Amino acid sequence: MAHAARKADLSSTLADANIRLDGGVESIVRNAWIVGGVGIVAALAWAFLSGSGAERIGRVWIVTYSFVLSIALGGLFFTIVQHLTRAGWSVVVRRIAEAYAANLRWMWLLFAVPVLLLLVTGKFGYVFPWADLAHMREVHPDEATLVEKKTAYLNVPFFLLRSTAYLAIWAALGWFFWRRSTEQDADGGIAATERMQRWAPAGIILFGLSTTFAAFDWIMSLNPAWFSTIFGVYFFAASCTSAFAAMIVALVLLERRGKLVGVVTAEHFQDLGKLLFAFGIVFWAYIAFSQYMLIWYSNQPETTGWYIARQMGGWKWLSIALLFGHFVIPFLLLVSKHPKRYTTTLLFVAAWMLVFSWLDLYWLVMPQIPEGLATATSYRALAEENAGVSTRLADPLNWLALLGFVGLFVGSTLRTLAGHALIPVRDPRLAESLAFENM
Amino acid sequence: MSTLVTDPRPLSEGRPQERGRLYGLMAEFATPGELLRAADTVRKEGFRWWDCHSPFPVHGLDKAMGISPTILPVAVFGAAATGALVGFLLQAFTNSWSFTIWAIVWVTGYPYLISGKPLLSMPAFIPVMFELTILLAATSTVFLMLLFNGLPRLHHPLLKSDRFRRVTDDRFFLVIEARDPKFSRARTESLLRSLHPVAVEAVED
Repeated sequence: MAHAARKADLSSTLADANIRLDGGVESIVRNAWIVGGVGIVAALAWAFLSGSGAERIGRVWIVTYSFVLSIALGGLFFTIVQHLTRAGWSVVVRRIAEAYAANLRWMWLLFAVPVLLLLVTGKFGYVFPWADLAHMREVHPDEATLVEKKTAYLNVPFFLLRSTAYLAIWAALGWFFWRRSTEQDADGGIAATERMQRWAPAGIILFGLSTTFAAFDWIMSLNPAWFSTIFGVYFFAASCTSAFAAMIVALVLLERRGKLVGVVTAEHFQDLGKLLFAFGIVFWAYIAFSQYMLIWYSNQPETTGWYIARQMGGWKWLSIALLFGHFVIPFLLLVSKHPKRYTTTLLFVAAWMLVFSWLDLYWLVMPQIPEGLATATSYRALAEENAGVSTRLADPLNWLALLGFVGLFVGSTLRTLAGHALIPVRDPRLAESLAFENM
Repeated sequence: MSTLVTDPRPLSEGRPQERGRLYGLMAEFATPGELLRAADTVRKEGFRWWDCHSPFPVHGLDKAMGISPTILPVAVFGAAATGALVGFLLQAFTNSWSFTIWAIVWVTGYPYLISGKPLLSMPAFIPVMFELTILLAATSTVFLMLLFNGLPRLHHPLLKSDRFRRVTDDRFFLVIEARDPKFSRARTESLLRSLHPVAVEAVED
């Protein structure tokens, strides 16, 4: 009796109407792509009209690109870890992460096109100062002597080679896990699961190395004299923040539209909330503080400049905002299990974390080390001299670029999902995931 | 205790074994589903002093038994906050504060001036605050869990029962204690028998 009832219940839970996007998604995809295209064009138009230099345009591009990249990479990380640990609970939420990661198959374009444009127009050195040592020697001679010793690593051909490798690894991994998982929807064979599990260990090692070095090359090298060995882990933590928050937002919005009802339950939301809490909030703070404390304690001039830049003028307030907005407040909001199980609070915190993850990347990429750092007589004098430095957060270039890239990302994610079920319908661990309960 | 069982024979007559008083009635079930249904019934009957025992966590058992959520997390949060505060005060006191008591006793800690950093330096304090937060949170989790569960205890009446040994293997038990106000040897036994157990056993203390 009970068995039959459960079976009937399951067949309605797994009905197409519940686990597939409606036809109406096509118009959302089209609108997202239009927003994306218009956003990018408008951002470029605004940049030229307002006379933003190549350096600012380039850095805003890196902020925006690393934001959408962090969602895709975090999705890839989540997917690989589920296969690595042969997790059962996560099957019903894995498809969303796979779809985010599948974007990596085209997202290399968002890196390659701007880099090519910068190279063709000869402005590559404006964004990555190490590429134009002659100029650097004129404006920052002290820094230049440090950077000259790094030319074996920091040179344009090797940079392009490494970047190609990262993008190729990510595209291959993202596509591999998406393809195997969706193939299993059709054939229902266990072979796909076994293949994904076999490749997961190699995948996670490649992921770890490529993400770490990409963070070094694309973000840390913007201040080429500065170095922090933990920087790659910092970007990984940011990826976790963005991706777990984006997964929660997507799943709650799907639930609000009557999808995955009875499939993704409070139990799964609680676990995603735990991941966002642990990786995206606490681990991020742990890494950010670890980086800060070593530099603060050792007090070496070649490394403290990076933080001094973030304590001047408007950047000071953004630093404080990150401490509270990226750690203290969401920590208190999400520490209990109840807000993790109640989708309204979880959605609020996840949306909040997406905003702060973007602000975090903006904070990593945009500040300029003050000109007078080497000659300043005291910290106070430097702070007064730079009191007027603005974060330029209100600059429409930031928001138009963000609109553009996020539009493309959302449109592409929905387009990818539209042809398939929202869960891996024939995964061998699906039943385990549907029945999953926290204690 | 009306259910106290006394042996009329005096001790000097060499009775083989001291008979204890009744601890409770134990029903043994073959499946977790039967245990869940039994727990549901026993809760609805209004018993208060009873418990379930199973080889593994049974989902939904807390709800079936009507157990209210534990306050352990709240207590642990308090302990963690205390740890952070103690960590801060400990360092601020030893490193940065010095004062006198009625200008007689000079209280000075261990001011440690290093690389021009102020004596009250938050970044340097955070690792110790973090560690003390974790230490107090972790130890309070373990010890409060033991306290709330009435542990450690050296003996439990159920451990006398041979039947109860299978609780670590493949059997599920529901025990109603004799101290429950609603307990009555005959009526409680017939209630438990109506729940289709494998067996019902009287456990003595």
